[in-house]
Amino acid sequence: MSKPKVAFFDFTCCEGCQIELTNYGDSAFLELLNHIEIVEFREAMTEKADHIDIAFVEGSFSREEDRARLEKIRQRASIVIAYGSCATSGGINAMKNDTNDYKQNVYGKDANMPHLDSQIALPVSAAIKVDYNVHGCPMDKYELLDIVSHLLHGKTPVIPNYPVCVECKRRETICRYDVGDHCMGQVARSGCGAPCPADGIPCEACRGFVDSPNEVALKKVLKEKGKLPERWAERKSKMFTANHRSDAKKLGV
Amino acid sequence: MNDYFISANDFDAFVSKMASERNVIGPVAKKTKFVYGKIQTNKDLRLDFDVTILPPKKVFTPTCQTLVTFDGSKFEGAVDKQPVVLFGVHFYDIKGLDMTDLLFSENNRDENYMAKRKAATVIGSSVQNVSKRAFWGSVGANVAPKGHDGFITKIGAGYHYQSLTQKGEALVGYGNFKPATEGQAEEARTVNVSMMSKCPEALKHSSEAIAKKVRDSFKNQELWANLSEDCFSCGSCNTTCPTCYCFDVQDKWNLNQVSGMRNRYWDSCLTEDFAKVSLGAGAEENFRETRGERFRHRFMRKAAYLNEKLGGPACVGCGRCSAACTADIADPVNVIKKIMEV
Repeated sequence: MSKPKVAFFDFTCCEGCQIELTNYGDSAFLELLNHIEIVEFREAMTEKADHIDIAFVEGSFSREEDRARLEKIRQRASIVIAYGSCATSGGINAMKNDTNDYKQNVYGKDANMPHLDSQIALPVSAAIKVDYNVHGCPMDKYELLDIVSHLLHGKTPVIPNYPVCVECKRRETICRYDVGDHCMGQVARSGCGAPCPADGIPCEACRGFVDSPNEVALKKVLKEKGKLPERWAERKSKMFTANHRSDAKKLGV
Repeated sequence: MNDYFISANDFDAFVSKMASERNVIGPVAKKTKFVYGKIQTNKDLRLDFDVTILPPKKVFTPTCQTLVTFDGSKFEGAVDKQPVVLFGVHFYDIKGLDMTDLLFSENNRDENYMAKRKAATVIGSSVQNVSKRAFWGSVGANVAPKGHDGFITKIGAGYHYQSLTQKGEALVGYGNFKPATEGQAEEARTVNVSMMSKCPEALKHSSEAIAKKVRDSFKNQELWANLSEDCFSCGSCNTTCPTCYCFDVQDKWNLNQVSGMRNRYWDSCLTEDFAKVSLGAGAEENFRETRGERFRHRFMRKAAYLNEKLGGPACVGCGRCSAACTADIADPVNVIKKIMEV
């Protein structure tokens, strides 16, 4: 069997997930190259490919003109994998979805330059069909590898749809609520191995919500048990969950 | 079966000696809580624990357990037969282990659990401190703790130790144990009996009455929807339960894409995808799609479905689920009270 042709693309993002890829280290990365052929990767090569077996897309969909580029990737690729929070949920770019003065705040007198025009930040799946998501900010390189392994063996990768609480329990982490803190672990998608609560830090849901988060109960528990004020409880970790909430903004609305 | 006494000082030396010669797992401190962990010396062992975060079944079926390793077309079972001494198990968790022993040994006998279990020496210990959500004093009164090899009880001057099997008797060789007097044996019995009324919570009905009412409430959708309104489907009530035994199996390949392992992980029926099954041709079906259905299923399993097989409810009253539920809706005492009132 010839090696699958793999390509990497980036949209609105910090490219940190590409950096995370290189954090495999030389030996692991070179071993991976024994099993895949990288045919397109803007950061590393100039070649382009007509056909792609697996396209990895990083970054959120935040400009209408990106739609055509995404559609072209979709047409060329057998499998599209969104990787990193920006691509899977809109990521922290979606913070701007609830504001209208971000350009003035960031760019001041240059705020009206045409290339700064953008729409709300959405996951890649808002523009094209996405087959699999590798969540996380940054994405977990081992999870990405696991997904690639499954695809190389013709298996369907399993992306967890259970919350971080499951992984905290597996490693017997003391619950943040038991020490008077708050946490988003009950609604946050797992797969990360729950490193933050284990280090004494509340989960921020950087992988977004599970498919059916109980938002009403979350607000209640954040307020009553986590002692967060009303508005904070309502907006907690919106940075990573803006597009997963029931009040998520829609294009053209 | 023999009754022994060991003084407090001799007990410390016994634990350290046993730990130096055997692989001993027992309750150890983890910040403000307790977990089962490796005992190196007597200082590690905390028999004053109230409850551990995870039940002791994790020793026999770890949260992530490799079942098989493979290399190309060659594969090898990962059955672990290493002997272990599990020292310091409260009676309610002994009941839990007895239940998982039965559940893993019936039908398709689970060698990965059973081999480890058979190689283990399990020593119970008296409850010195009661956890905040415990209700073991009122649950499954007809279910006796069994399957352990010995039981140690803290009494005034030291510890009373009762060996129940050859494996339990073998530990006596590690310490300065003396035959217990009738008074010491009686003191131990009194300690253990008096603890039964110390739980902060209690069920008010018999297991039989609860089982019947829970079953009869199956079709009361409004009840289950109300009870589960704040449920996060986080599975913490399952993942801390001493009698839950469902698992999910996943394959992992090593970087070379040739070798790897087949692992199993504790699964939980409260999570959304647990009951999602393939219908073939890419189609799927979730046969417990709503929070209410999943919440109901847990109570059916714990209070009714398994009772005949286990001789009582599949709940030992440890209170771990109650404490782990951040929405505080999982407590069997509260939930069963509401069900009984309908």
